Amino acid sequence: MKASIKFLGMQRVITNTDSLDMPINGNTKVKDALEHVRRQYPDLTLQDGMVLITVNYEVAGADRLLKDGDSISFLPLIAGG
Amino acid sequence: MKILHQIEYKPAKVAGGYTDRILRIDLTKPEITVQKLPPDFKNKYIGGRGYALKLIWDGASQKTHYDSPENILVMASGPLGNEPAFVGTGKFIVGTISPLTDTFIDSNIGGHFGPVLKRAGFDALAVSGISKEDVVLLIDGDSGTISVAAAPNYDKETDDGALSYGEKLLEDFKGAELDDTLAAVTAGKGAVNSRFGIVNSLFFDVRRKRLRSKQAGRGGTGTVMRFKGLRAVIARSSLSKVNANNAIDKEGVRRAGSKLKAVVSQCDGQQLHLGAWGTTGLSEYMDKFHLFPINNYQYGQSPDSPKLFGQVFLDKYFDKKIPDGCYYGCNLACAKGAQDVKLTHGPKAGKIVNVDGPEYETVGAVSCMGIFDPQFVMEYNWYCDEYGLDTISTGVTIGFFMECVQRSFLTAADIGYELAFGNIEAVDRLLHEIVDGKGFGKIVGQGVARGKKWVAEKFTAQNGSSQDEVVTELNKFGMEVKGLEFSMYITKESLAQQGGYGFALKGPQHDEAWLIFIDQVHKEIPTLEDKANALKWFPLIRTWFNATGLCKLPWIDVRNPEAANTPEPSKNVPTLEYYVSYLNATTGSHKTLQDVLDDSERLYILQKLINLRHRRGTRASDQIPWRAIGPAYFNEYEARVDYYDEWLRQLLGDSKVPATAEARHKLLMEKRIQAYQHLCDMVYEKKGFTSEGIPKRETVEKFGLMDKQAKQLLSQFSK
Repeated sequence: MKASIKFLGMQRVITNTDSLDMPINGNTKVKDALEHVRRQYPDLTLQDGMVLITVNYEVAGADRLLKDGDSISFLPLIAGG
Repeated sequence: MKILHQIEYKPAKVAGGYTDRILRIDLTKPEITVQKLPPDFKNKYIGGRGYALKLIWDGASQKTHYDSPENILVMASGPLGNEPAFVGTGKFIVGTISPLTDTFIDSNIGGHFGPVLKRAGFDALAVSGISKEDVVLLIDGDSGTISVAAAPNYDKETDDGALSYGEKLLEDFKGAELDDTLAAVTAGKGAVNSRFGIVNSLFFDVRRKRLRSKQAGRGGTGTVMRFKGLRAVIARSSLSKVNANNAIDKEGVRRAGSKLKAVVSQCDGQQLHLGAWGTTGLSEYMDKFHLFPINNYQYGQSPDSPKLFGQVFLDKYFDKKIPDGCYYGCNLACAKGAQDVKLTHGPKAGKIVNVDGPEYETVGAVSCMGIFDPQFVMEYNWYCDEYGLDTISTGVTIGFFMECVQRSFLTAADIGYELAFGNIEAVDRLLHEIVDGKGFGKIVGQGVARGKKWVAEKFTAQNGSSQDEVVTELNKFGMEVKGLEFSMYITKESLAQQGGYGFALKGPQHDEAWLIFIDQVHKEIPTLEDKANALKWFPLIRTWFNATGLCKLPWIDVRNPEAANTPEPSKNVPTLEYYVSYLNATTGSHKTLQDVLDDSERLYILQKLINLRHRRGTRASDQIPWRAIGPAYFNEYEARVDYYDEWLRQLLGDSKVPATAEARHKLLMEKRIQAYQHLCDMVYEKKGFTSEGIPKRETVEKFGLMDKQAKQLLSQFSK
C-alpha cells in the first residue's frame, strides 16, 4: 500500500518534484507522512499551525489513518486578498 | 504648465496620524478650499473609506450619478497610513459614485500618493465639479501652493496613456530627475471610453530607479476622474517619512510594527510566499479546488492552468532579487514586477515595457476569457494599466460576451468577428476597441449589466422571443451584482462566499469578505449561523483596513502561529492585536478590537444607507447569478457530475436522488437557490436589517447616523 504526498506552489520548487510516494501500512497516520516529508526534505519548513493538512483535498487531522491511494497535501492557510 | 488657478497654503502638520484637513477642489469654478475638520469628524468616520462615505452622503443626493457635477471623487489615506515602522501602510482609497453601480464605490490602492498627500497637509482630497478643459492638480507641500493647471499635451502616444502621461508630467513638474518626494495619480484613454476606468498610482521606486504603478481597479473611479476633466494629480512633500504620522506613542508604534514584521518574516516563507511570487501563486491553489474562473466561471479547473501558475511568472518575468513593497517598511513585499517585456500584440507591438504585476486577479481575468498564455497576461496587464482599464471588469465582460456567442445569443455578424473563448487575436482587437470606444468595444466598455440589456434587445429583435425570458437566461451567467463584475473566484461550492459577494455593498469584490477556503476547504464555518456570523464579522474588520490606510494582506494572508491556539484561527486575532496596538500608539486612543469593529460598523451602515438612497440597498440588490450559486448549465454539472451527485446524496439520502442526470441537475440548483435565500434571512438578522435587507431604525440610531436624510429614507422603505 502507498500514499502520495503532493507538492504545490513553492513546495514543488523546493522539492523539485510534484509528488512523493510513501509506503504505508494499516497503522500509518497523516503525522507519519509529515515526518516522512520532513526527513526527505529538511529545507521544506512545515511547522505545525502554519499549514493546512488535506487528504484527498479534504481537511484532515494529524492522527487520521491513511489508506491505499490517499493523496496528502500541506497547504498554506489561504484567507483571501 | 499653464496655471489656471492657484492658492498658497501652509501645510498642516500631521499629529497622531491626522492633519484634520481636507483639500476640496471644485473644478467647475475652479475653486480650491482647505477645509478644517471639526474634532469629532475623525472619531466618527476614521479616515479613508469613512471620509469618502461621509462626504458623499452629505454632498450627493439620490439624483447624483457618476457624471453629475456634484459627484465627488475622494482620495484618502487614513490615520495609520504613512508609517515605515509598520507593515503595509501605503494604502489609500478612491471613492465616488460609480458609473457601473450607480452607487458608492471605493477601491483601495497602494503606492506613495496617500502618504505624500498627508505629508503635504491633507487627510483627503475631494474633487467635485466638471472642468471645461482637461486639467491637472498640483499639490505642492514644499512650495506651499495648490494649483489647477491646464493639462499639458505632449504627443498622442503619451497623452493616451496613463503611465506614459504620468511619467512625462512628473518630469515636467520636477524639472529634474525623479525622486520619491513626488507621487501622482492618473487615468488613461480607456477610462474615457469605458465605465470601468481605473486610477493609477505612480510612485518612484528608489531601488529600480524608475516609476512603478499600482491601481484602484474597481468600479470606474478612473472614468469619473476623466469625466471631471481631471487628467492627473501630483502631490509633493520632502518631509521625512520617518515618524511621519507624529505618533502619540512612538515606541508603541515601533513595538507593534516589530511584532508584525517578525511574523511576516517568519511565516510568509512557509505559507503563501507572497514575497517571492506576489499573488500569482494563488492560481495553483484556486485551480486545485475548482475556483479558477475559467471560461466565464464555467469550469474551475483546466489541464492548461499550470501555464498560469506562479512559478511561470517567477521564472520568466519577475525581477527576482528586489524587494517589492509598494511602500516603505513593508517586508511582505508582494508588489511584483517585470522589466523589459517585449509587446507582441496591439498597437505597440515591438515596444519594450516594464510591467507592474500581474496580480492573481489579472491572471484570473485572462483565464476567464479562456486564455492560458502567460505572455498575453503580461501584455494584457500592461495595456490595461497604460490605457486605464480594470483588468477584472474587462476580462469578465469579454468572458460574458464570449459565452453569449457560445450559447447562440450572439453571432460573429453581431460582433463583426469571431469571439470564442481562448481567441487571443479577438481579445487583443476587442481590448483596443474598448480603449478607443469604437466598434464592438463601445458595447463591451459598458460592462456586463448594460451588456445583458443590449444582448437581450438585439436577440429579441432578431428572434421575436420574449425579452424577459432572454434576460432571465442572461442573468444566469452574466457575472455581476449591483452592476459590478465579480472578482476572480468561483463560488459555486461555498455558500459563505456567495454571500461574501452578494452582500458586498460595493458589488462582488472580495475585499469585503473572502470566505471560500475557511468554508469550502477548512470547513471552519459549517452551519448557516456560522456562515452568517462570518459574513457580519469579516466585512467589519476589512472595512477598518480601508478606513485606516492599511493593506490587509499582512493580516489575512500571513497566519500568525499563535492563531492556532485561538477559538477561530481564521480571524488571525493575535495579529489583529498588533494592529489595535498600532492604532492606539498612533492616535493616543485606548480602543479594543471590539471598539474597532464598532467603528467599522458605523461606516458599514452609512454605506448601506447610501446604497438605499441609490436604489442598490435592498434584498433584490443582493441577488446573485445562478452561475455563482451552482452549475447554472448542464455542461458545468456534467464536468463534475460525480461530485454534484454525491453532494445531492449527502443532502437528501440515496432514495430521494432523481434517476436522470437532468432531474438531478435541476433539483441541485433548486436546493442551492433555497440555501442562498435562507442565508439572506439569517445574515440580515445578524446585521440588524429587516428581511428586505433594510437597516432597522435602532441599527441606524445605534451608530449615531439617524440624520434627516436617513429618517426620510427609512420612512420611504418602510412603506
